[in-house]
Amino acid sequence: MTEPAELMRGTLDLLILKAVSLGPVHGYGVLLRIEQISGGAFAIEQGSLYPALYKLEFTGMLAAEWGTSDSNRRAKYYQLTAAGRKRLREETTGWRRVVAAMAAALSARAEEA
Amino acid sequence: MFSRTRHLWRALFHRGQWERNLDDELQWHLDNRVEDLIRRGQTPEEAERTARIELGSRESQKERCREVHGLRWPDEIKQDLLYAARLLRRSPGFTAVAILSLALGIGANTVVFSALNVLLLRPLPVASPGELRFVERDGFPVHHFARYVEMRDRNKTFSGLIAYEFVALAIEDGASPRYAQAYLATGNYFDVLGVRPQLGRFFGPEDDLKAGAHPVAVLSDTYWRSRFAADPQIVGKTVRVNSLPYTVVGVAPAGFYGTELFYRPEMWIPMRMQPQVEGISLLETYDRGPSRIMIVGRLRPGVTPRQAEADLGSISAASPLGAPEFQGDWNRINLTPPGLIGDQFRRPAEAFASGVMVLSAMVLLAACANLASLLAARTLDRSHELAIRSSIGAGRGRIARQLLSESLLISLLGGAAGYILAFFLLRALSAWRVAAGVAVQIDGRPDWRVMAFAAAAALLTGILFGVAPARQAWASRNTRGDLPGRATRPRWRFREALLPVQIALCCAVLTASLVSFRGLSRSFRTHLGFDPRGLAVASTNLAFARYDPENGRVFQRRVLDELSRVPGVEAAAYANALPLSAANSMWVLFPENATDSWPAKGALANTYRVSPGYFRTMGTRLIRGREFTWRDSAWTRETAIVNETFARTILHSREAIGRHFRYSRRGPLVEVIGLVEDGKYVAPAEKALPVVFWPANQEYESAMTLVVRSSGTEQAAAMRIREVVAGLDPRLPLFNVGSLRDTIDFQFLPARIATVALSAFGLLAAMLAVTGIYGLAHHAVSGQIRDIGIRVALGASPWQVLHPLLGRTLMLLALGSCAGLALGLAADRAISSVVYQASARDPVVLAGAALGMVLIGFAATWAPARRALSADPLIALRHE
Repeated sequence: MTEPAELMRGTLDLLILKAVSLGPVHGYGVLLRIEQISGGAFAIEQGSLYPALYKLEFTGMLAAEWGTSDSNRRAKYYQLTAAGRKRLREETTGWRRVVAAMAAALSARAEEA
Repeated sequence: MFSRTRHLWRALFHRGQWERNLDDELQWHLDNRVEDLIRRGQTPEEAERTARIELGSRESQKERCREVHGLRWPDEIKQDLLYAARLLRRSPGFTAVAILSLALGIGANTVVFSALNVLLLRPLPVASPGELRFVERDGFPVHHFARYVEMRDRNKTFSGLIAYEFVALAIEDGASPRYAQAYLATGNYFDVLGVRPQLGRFFGPEDDLKAGAHPVAVLSDTYWRSRFAADPQIVGKTVRVNSLPYTVVGVAPAGFYGTELFYRPEMWIPMRMQPQVEGISLLETYDRGPSRIMIVGRLRPGVTPRQAEADLGSISAASPLGAPEFQGDWNRINLTPPGLIGDQFRRPAEAFASGVMVLSAMVLLAACANLASLLAARTLDRSHELAIRSSIGAGRGRIARQLLSESLLISLLGGAAGYILAFFLLRALSAWRVAAGVAVQIDGRPDWRVMAFAAAAALLTGILFGVAPARQAWASRNTRGDLPGRATRPRWRFREALLPVQIALCCAVLTASLVSFRGLSRSFRTHLGFDPRGLAVASTNLAFARYDPENGRVFQRRVLDELSRVPGVEAAAYANALPLSAANSMWVLFPENATDSWPAKGALANTYRVSPGYFRTMGTRLIRGREFTWRDSAWTRETAIVNETFARTILHSREAIGRHFRYSRRGPLVEVIGLVEDGKYVAPAEKALPVVFWPANQEYESAMTLVVRSSGTEQAAAMRIREVVAGLDPRLPLFNVGSLRDTIDFQFLPARIATVALSAFGLLAAMLAVTGIYGLAHHAVSGQIRDIGIRVALGASPWQVLHPLLGRTLMLLALGSCAGLALGLAADRAISSVVYQASARDPVVLAGAALGMVLIGFAATWAPARRALSADPLIALRHE
């Protein structure tokens, strides 16, 4: 297992949206799910998780609801809204384009330039 | 966008819940994390610690969450306000002065604005009031009914044209007939205005077809509630009006009183009942006899008032019935907004209200200037604290905002207090009636416009006087934190500029109030053209008991006979209306020969029909000729008595007696048989008016005001009139019964209001000036108390001590006073339109204003000067 990579700026929102899109989840669950789906490749600074969640909720990407957890405690569950889903789709497409372009750029050879 | 507002809303108004949720969520995170870490093999203590470190500072987490939810600004403003409130609590004296002066300033402005609102801004309670226009013909608000019918049937620019008339009625709904005011209105009236009845129905065109055939009535809400206890079964019941039974068909909605702002009718009766109500028919007359009908129309969509004026004007000019003398300019139609008998009272009311508004705004401005300099001084005193705040990291913007929020807090508190003050004042005002028996009432209860105005005034003043200290803090680069006591030369310039402005405003208001006060006291002594002392009056209308002209004449003569037999009565007379009684009629007269140099349109004069003995009773001086006798009647040659202005401006003759003029261009000659002195007829502040008196016996009029001169009290004489009339005919209710002085008292009301308002403003302005000058002088002395102490110790004379300290302040005072005096003098023309004989070119006014300013200066600098002169150098040095 390699060292967790620094998260690139702006990607945290995308990862959160992706994590939430897999099913309603509470804040700590988002953290675990990102670790899980990225195979532990990203170390998320926990301090920036909640401000990011609140911002997404504020801008209407996420809807939050208070529910009861397995251990019978009050917990806040996040869910993707229609706007959030749209944003996830757009950002995913955008991200793929960037990755493809970067890959192409980085695999360029001297004679082709 | 919607989501953001919703979230911010919830965060702001359910803040406790919001914070608890945030806490719970973070706690939940920590607990789960700790559990996970323990599962991974850490000890509980270790796990707890790691979890906390990973999450970082909980407070800064929360702060960032709040920030992304848009809570940062509201939070900081809340902090600022709390801090400001703490500071204000710490200096209660300053706070009280600030809030009080603002409350008075804003309260005064709110009351004045409210009056303006009622007069000019509040729409009539009808459908689309903006489409309604009042029709005036050559500047006259009244028309003959036949002309109205012509305009209604032939115009192409109005979707509806209505006519109405003020009438006095005797309603029999109690023990005896009672005087009441009502409207005669055409059948399309309610339909065109777009009003719905709250009970029953309104009368319509089908109830207004044949003269005298439709005895139906619509009651006003107030009348229905007060006399019938809001009886839901009222429709179909009968009310006797002028001795005829009328069927109630409906009740008008609450708050609807027709299209005139100052008229409160008790009922509406179809126009075609006019002959029954008034005793003579005015429905067929055309360019002859009295015209009392007022016309309001609803413009068709897309039609401009200009087009409508042209349309009605051409109908009027082309009328086949028009009298030849009423051609040309007489057919010029002008449309005005309805509400104040067209525009008849709008201009004076507007001028009056705006004049008072300007004055009250000046007082508020003076209060602002005063607070600005007080606050600026406080900021200087607080430079130490501000320096500390800025050195621990508060930005200049933040400090300026803090200071601004302080002034805004003061202004909002002052505004709220002012609004409450205004609210109670206005409630008292709208409960009050101009005079008993007069259905004129002002609805001055504050509405949302008034509230918005008070809020805007508060905010604006807060910003105005708050900018000064905030600007000071902004400009201050001084971060060292000068120690208090070590007086740095304070920044005076801004405050020094404010002071003369404030003084000038104060002095202008003071001058204006003196001018108006002098004018008012003079107007009580002014000659009215009659002597009201000892005169008792009572009004009635013989149509109340359905007299015909013949019986009416007999009755009128009998009343006078009976009255003159009452012991103590020196003279008795009647007239269709008295001068200064608010009932005015005008007449167009024509010269004897076409060659006489009269105005082309004929001459306009106010007219009264008076009985024999009228001038003797009123105490009006007969300069030449004779009074009317009972022989001056319709069966002899026509006679008239004129006043001096009529003789001078229309007859161009000092003699007048024996001269002639005509009612119409080819009418019979009228001979002038008497000349009487000028008087006041429409308002005490008017310029001299030409007036002509007709003999009452010549043409019968049912409206009559009895006037009695007696040696006893006026009230006793009024009682005698009551007894005599009741003895002759108990069906005739009287109104406006009492002394003539009381019944014309309302004429002095505008002048009184102006004087009271000006005096209140003057006092307020003087108070503000005193505190302002005191603040400046006090500051000057405190800043240099050590130097002063030393100089006093070295034997400086009082002059040498005070001159450098107060010389500049006093010079500013003199400068401001001169400017203010000039301003006040310039305003005297505006005041003289309201207050009779107000003139600033009056030595008493000038001396009074100057003395006032000297007193103010003295009062304000006395304490600081005393302090400077008694400064003890030892104390001053020890302070170091």
